[in-house]
Amino acid sequence: MAAWVKGGAADVDAAVAAAADLLAAARVPVLAGLNADVAGLRAAYRLAETLGASLDPVAGNSIYAELGALSAGGAMTTTRAETEARADVVLILGNRPWDGDLIAEIAAAPIRRGRAAGSERALLSLGGPQNGAIRHVAYGADEGGLAVSLGHLRAFAKGHLAGEAAFADLARRLFTAQYGVVIYDAEEVGEIGVEMLQGLIRDLNESTRFFSLPLADPFQGRAAVQLSAWTTGQAPRVGFGRSLPEHDPWRFDSARQIASGEADAALWLAALPAPRPDWLGKLPTIAIVGEGSTEAAGETAEIVITVGVPGETVGGALWNQRRGVIAYADATAPSEAETAAGVLARIRDRLIEKGVSC
Amino acid sequence: MLTRIHGGRVVDPTAGRDGVGDVWIEDGRIVAPSDRAPDETIDATGCVVMAGGVEVHSHIAGGNVVMSRLLLPDLYVSESAPNGHPFAHAGGSGSWVGANYARMGYTTAVEPALPPSNALATHLELADIPLLDRGGLAVLGNDDHLLQLLRDGEGKAAVRDLVQQTLAHSRGLGVKCINAGGASAFKDGVLKLSLDDEIPCYGLSTRKIMSALLDAVEEIGVPHPLHVHCNNLGLPGADDSLVATLEAAEGRRIHFAHAQFYAYGVADPENPMTGGFRSAAERINAAMEAHPNATYDVGQVVFGQTVTISLDILRQFGGRKGAKPKKWVLTAGDAEGGGVVPFLYRPRGPVSSLQWAIGLELMLLSSNPERTILTTDHPNGGVFTEYPRIIHLLMDAEERAKEIATLPAVVGERSGLPKIEREYSLSEIAQLTRSGPAKLLGLTDRGHLREGAKADIAVYRDQKDRTAMFSHAKLVLKDGRRIVEDGEVVAWISGKTLSLDVEADAGMEKRAESYLQDRFGAGLDTFAVPDAAFPENTGTFEDVACRA
Repeated sequence: MAAWVKGGAADVDAAVAAAADLLAAARVPVLAGLNADVAGLRAAYRLAETLGASLDPVAGNSIYAELGALSAGGAMTTTRAETEARADVVLILGNRPWDGDLIAEIAAAPIRRGRAAGSERALLSLGGPQNGAIRHVAYGADEGGLAVSLGHLRAFAKGHLAGEAAFADLARRLFTAQYGVVIYDAEEVGEIGVEMLQGLIRDLNESTRFFSLPLADPFQGRAAVQLSAWTTGQAPRVGFGRSLPEHDPWRFDSARQIASGEADAALWLAALPAPRPDWLGKLPTIAIVGEGSTEAAGETAEIVITVGVPGETVGGALWNQRRGVIAYADATAPSEAETAAGVLARIRDRLIEKGVSC
Repeated sequence: MLTRIHGGRVVDPTAGRDGVGDVWIEDGRIVAPSDRAPDETIDATGCVVMAGGVEVHSHIAGGNVVMSRLLLPDLYVSESAPNGHPFAHAGGSGSWVGANYARMGYTTAVEPALPPSNALATHLELADIPLLDRGGLAVLGNDDHLLQLLRDGEGKAAVRDLVQQTLAHSRGLGVKCINAGGASAFKDGVLKLSLDDEIPCYGLSTRKIMSALLDAVEEIGVPHPLHVHCNNLGLPGADDSLVATLEAAEGRRIHFAHAQFYAYGVADPENPMTGGFRSAAERINAAMEAHPNATYDVGQVVFGQTVTISLDILRQFGGRKGAKPKKWVLTAGDAEGGGVVPFLYRPRGPVSSLQWAIGLELMLLSSNPERTILTTDHPNGGVFTEYPRIIHLLMDAEERAKEIATLPAVVGERSGLPKIEREYSLSEIAQLTRSGPAKLLGLTDRGHLREGAKADIAVYRDQKDRTAMFSHAKLVLKDGRRIVEDGEVVAWISGKTLSLDVEADAGMEKRAESYLQDRFGAGLDTFAVPDAAFPENTGTFEDVACRA
């Protein structure tokens, strides 16, 4: 476990004390990144509450494309395992679902449960890369993009538009499903697109069963949403500046707060790898980063403290992409490193000792 | 430290106590009266002393509870927190749940829907509910693995082993089945399911699945009987479903969840689905009288905005168009999934008024409040913080009449509530909220004030305004520690998570691992609830022994 203060190697106790001093002096601190296990996220929420800081996970944009549409109109969803076992019609939206092994796995899996068991799966894509390696029927997106395409598709599905357009054919195929699933990435489709898609799914459910499988972000955003909801009653982004949790995706967008000069200190939590924010170095920052990461260096921030990497050098409860749930991951190569939760709790304890409280 | 609670009216129906007396406490337990001088004396003059309240059915944690917060971010209001627990004033949060139960004198609460496929997150959330002991009931009855075993006729031992393995891995306190087979059937296009309807693809029925679970629960020795959410919740004629399910139990122990939502007799037999409903409270209570193996909790409705949360996706899909506001979430999960549908019990509306009346009627007609547990099926019938008002209405016929007078005539036309003169006594309230639920859960160490019980104790000022009395306890002790004084939390301690002390059968564990790897590409480790996952001082589990 290593630590640096102003570029110089320091012991962890000194770095924790310096971090507490830095945060105590701030008027509008932000806690960003939040790529950590549940215990680390939990400790970050407690630290933010003590400080009166706001919290913004690195997955914020992805989370918001989903949650904005969810709170406006709701959703119908299913799981990866149910998609593989039951879905006879699978519509893949955009490009991102083709990253990774998900689509290939679905394409290879036989339908073995439910009323469609034994039938052949129809793989359809809309606005995708037209991957030739996996057999599927590809439909191009409108020039207006996926959201506009979904609007047109829904209009054909509802009979508000008629004709022999490709979307009319696609709509017909969707209605043939016995258990249909649309796979999409909310950030790529956008909030309006997600809302339109969920409307289409509601329409399809007037006559068959159809669900969505939104992809999770790779930065523990889903875990942060759950922890935030049970801790504050609200999704992130959350701020504690007025002694109560306030949920506001615009006000507590860390990039906006920092760019505008509103925030005067930051704590960047990346126990697991996260994209390095471009504001590092622009304001006094504490970086709590995974040991062995490229950010584990004195020049990353004013104060840098390395912590164990959940699921690698320490155990931790993490979002499990395959299962779509929070699951515990043992350390695969255990080290003596302190956890992010431990370091954050020590900083908080130090602040409480100093009498800092929002 | 020896403590004496002195001079209060001690109400403990399990010991036949209802009179002024003392309660002695030492080391977190209730002890016999002592000759030693107490280290502390708590003056309870003018107060009522009861065991801490025990909740058997309240949706306080889990994926669908989280989803309800995301769907309706404005349902609860957060307030500026005084110094104290950081999140207790965050409306709808786990800390808010713990604080509000504790203020009412409750010290134990059970989440009735612990999905084994998402057990860790549910337990992490439960662990963040302070002040209370808590637990969860593992949900079975729609999972493919169980249905496969039953379809293949594998026999009772295999089912028992799978149930036991599921309980062990999910760290449940008991077992619940929710519209058994209904979620599976829904995924295959079914929109209405009754006890003997066939579950597509499995050749099973709700009766067969439930019966197998009833047997398994008995064989394992789970203290809490199988907790059953029947078919056809909320539909006219749902009383038929409850009574048929009760008979299908064939004398085996069974608990019915939120019976109010099933106490709906068909009002017009010529038009059963369109003619509305009338109270079937008398019928339900008569059936319970005839079946001493059964208990129920009420699921009382309260007026106002709420959100319904249920793993009964078939029912939630059916109710989606009644959502208010008009948005809802439905998840076709790995087993049940769930549905989150906002709902407004319209103040003084005819339907909601009748529902309100039926719940009270159920409790007021009950000959044994220990078998009639007070719940609102939080938040499905309404928020649990309405318990004091409900208690007030049960204890005060005049107050009840005043409220009935503001409601539509349908309350008198389709329920017997206005004619009931009964008033609950404090002992009966203790049965309804303490001894009954504790016995039901098999928690012998709580729900009473006898020697050896946990010192979970609520002291209330004896006021005619029972709403005020039960809303803000004068004093609440948890394990002998003061956690509430004058209705405010004074010590933020963490309780324990109660889980059944069972071990998975090694053979079934191996088999489950193979099944899960094949189905999910991930094994039992992704279903596990290890101690290591819990932050220090929050996640301590306490074993509850199986029945001998």
